[in-house]
Amino acid sequence: MSSFYIWPDMPFLSIAVLVAASMIFLYLARTPLHLALDSLDEGIAGGLKKIADWIKSVVLKMQEKNRKVLLESNIAESEQKIAQEFKRVEASYTKHLADYPALHLKLDENITSVDADFKECGQVVPEAPGWNDAVESIASIKGSASGDRVIEKMLKELHKSAIDGEKSAIAEMQKISSKRHKILSSMAPVWKKIQKAMNEVDTKVSLVLETSGKIEKYMQEYEKVRKGGEDTIDMLSSKATKLFIFSIIVITVAGFGAFVNFQLIALPMSELVPAGTRVLGMHVSDISALVIVTLEVVLGIFLMEALGVTNIFPQIAGLTLGKRRMLLYAAVLGIFFLASVEAALAILREHITATNAATTQALAGSVSTTAGIEGSKITVIGQATLGFTLPWILAMVAVPLEMLIESSQHVLSKLIILVIKLAGYLVGIISHLLNTLMKTIIHIYDAYIIIPTQIGNLIKSKS
Amino acid sequence: MTKRKIIYSLFLISGVLLISACSDNKEYETAICALADISGTYAKEKKSMVKIIKAGIVPKLVPGDSLILMSIDSNSFNEENIKGKLKLDYRPSQANQQKLKFAQTLNDFADNESSAKYTDISGAMMLCSSHLKSTNAGTQIMFIFSDMKEELKPGIKRSFNNDEFENMDIVAMNVIKLNEDSANPQVFRSRIKKWKKRILKHSAKSWNSSLDPTEISDYIDEKR
Repeated sequence: MSSFYIWPDMPFLSIAVLVAASMIFLYLARTPLHLALDSLDEGIAGGLKKIADWIKSVVLKMQEKNRKVLLESNIAESEQKIAQEFKRVEASYTKHLADYPALHLKLDENITSVDADFKECGQVVPEAPGWNDAVESIASIKGSASGDRVIEKMLKELHKSAIDGEKSAIAEMQKISSKRHKILSSMAPVWKKIQKAMNEVDTKVSLVLETSGKIEKYMQEYEKVRKGGEDTIDMLSSKATKLFIFSIIVITVAGFGAFVNFQLIALPMSELVPAGTRVLGMHVSDISALVIVTLEVVLGIFLMEALGVTNIFPQIAGLTLGKRRMLLYAAVLGIFFLASVEAALAILREHITATNAATTQALAGSVSTTAGIEGSKITVIGQATLGFTLPWILAMVAVPLEMLIESSQHVLSKLIILVIKLAGYLVGIISHLLNTLMKTIIHIYDAYIIIPTQIGNLIKSKS
Repeated sequence: MTKRKIIYSLFLISGVLLISACSDNKEYETAICALADISGTYAKEKKSMVKIIKAGIVPKLVPGDSLILMSIDSNSFNEENIKGKLKLDYRPSQANQQKLKFAQTLNDFADNESSAKYTDISGAMMLCSSHLKSTNAGTQIMFIFSDMKEELKPGIKRSFNNDEFENMDIVAMNVIKLNEDSANPQVFRSRIKKWKKRILKHSAKSWNSSLDPTEISDYIDEKR
């Protein structure tokens, strides 16, 4: 510092002279230095502001793109749902209404039968024999009241015949009534049949109507998505985020399942694929076990695709029903084969573990308890069951996997937008700070040269 | 460039990457050498030595590992001193059978009552070192079952190369105290200290003389 002093013996004076000289210099160079600082401010802060603006426009574009992707994917999903529902309606019509003519015929037959029975049931009152008129005619004959014996006898006979006729008519009527009652009682099951058939018709029609109702619901959703309002976007975004979180959880759990599966078959695989080579630090046997686990997942994806549960490969979705069925059978057979292999490997694993334990005991000199180990079938059964079940569970992973892939597009875009937005804000803040800093420097600069400035102003005003 | 050429190039690159990713198992394997002193008073320790090897070392070997048993006698730098070799098969079932067979070799060694007048520890270590190196195993451990008192036969000279024990972990196991050690512990301590200095000077990775037989398993796991 002392080397800057003009008079090293007089530091204060040297500093005062230096300050005064710098003030005069800075006063004289005020205009170009102000311009230089302004340019610097414009260059840095302005540049950063432009970057921030550019980032904002990029964010807006990305948001718009993300919005479009979200809408388009949901429109496609809705269309797919509606198409599926139409297929279901068709299937429902085919399934439920196919036997409707038969049902109708049955109903018709039953009604005809009931009608016939009803007609047969029509009660006809038997007419009384025509004795009354005859009695009345005879009674009106002269002498009938004078006690003519012949007429009296005739009347008695007629009376007796009338009573007999009435009795037989009543008996006949009772017989007919009983027959009618029998017919009526035989109609009851037919009525029940008709009622049952009607119920069947009602159920089938309800099912068809229910399926049709779903289409209406999906159509409403579809229209809503097509309109693409802010509420719909928020709803779709929230739905995608929810799906993403759920699928992440399920995939994580499935990952643990795959790890357990791998551990179950890695040891026995070393018995089947013994090799002194490693790939990326892993035993070839371990890689083989990993391949089996991965194959299970792949077959699961094909199974779900063939079933129409997922729609990852459009080629599979476009296959004919027959080909899809073939793919389905192939996937099921493949998983069954791998599950059987795993069950066998799990049994082998238990055997190897038991042998290892027995060998260690034998080497340590203790009495071998292999009999006890062999006797324990529970572990073997448990491991074999686990080995057979896990592949089927892993095969289901295709569903959350598809969900994850679909929802991750939107969620990851949202995350990227958030990061870019943050960067934009950061650049904006830095730009603002630099701008303020430059202004502060200019003010300090002006404050530093206040004395020569004031003197200059004084001289200017006087001149 | 045609589509076919691009596909061929991709296949070629994938193949090269796969081949370069393939590595030999050796660097993940463990080679162990057990040196058994059969000279002087230590010859009585044969059975306990074999017991330690059988219970502590052999069960810890995994498919691909190797074990060599050598004896320390008057002139140990001799192939005849190799009493048994074991290289485990990659199949666990075969490996177990090999272990049981090797246990029999160890039993035969323990039953053999031969002993030596002199103690050539250095010669055995040199022989062991060359065998361990030939395995190229990633982990190389040398267990010395001895009182660590070397008595070379007149005319025998032993000097280690600078990299004699490079990449090797050396453990002096079951070091029993001799009468003179009991009389003056400093004799024992200075003897062990000298060995430590000598071994570490010749590039050994580590030296241990206080390992308990029950800790062998953990020690091998730690070094793997």
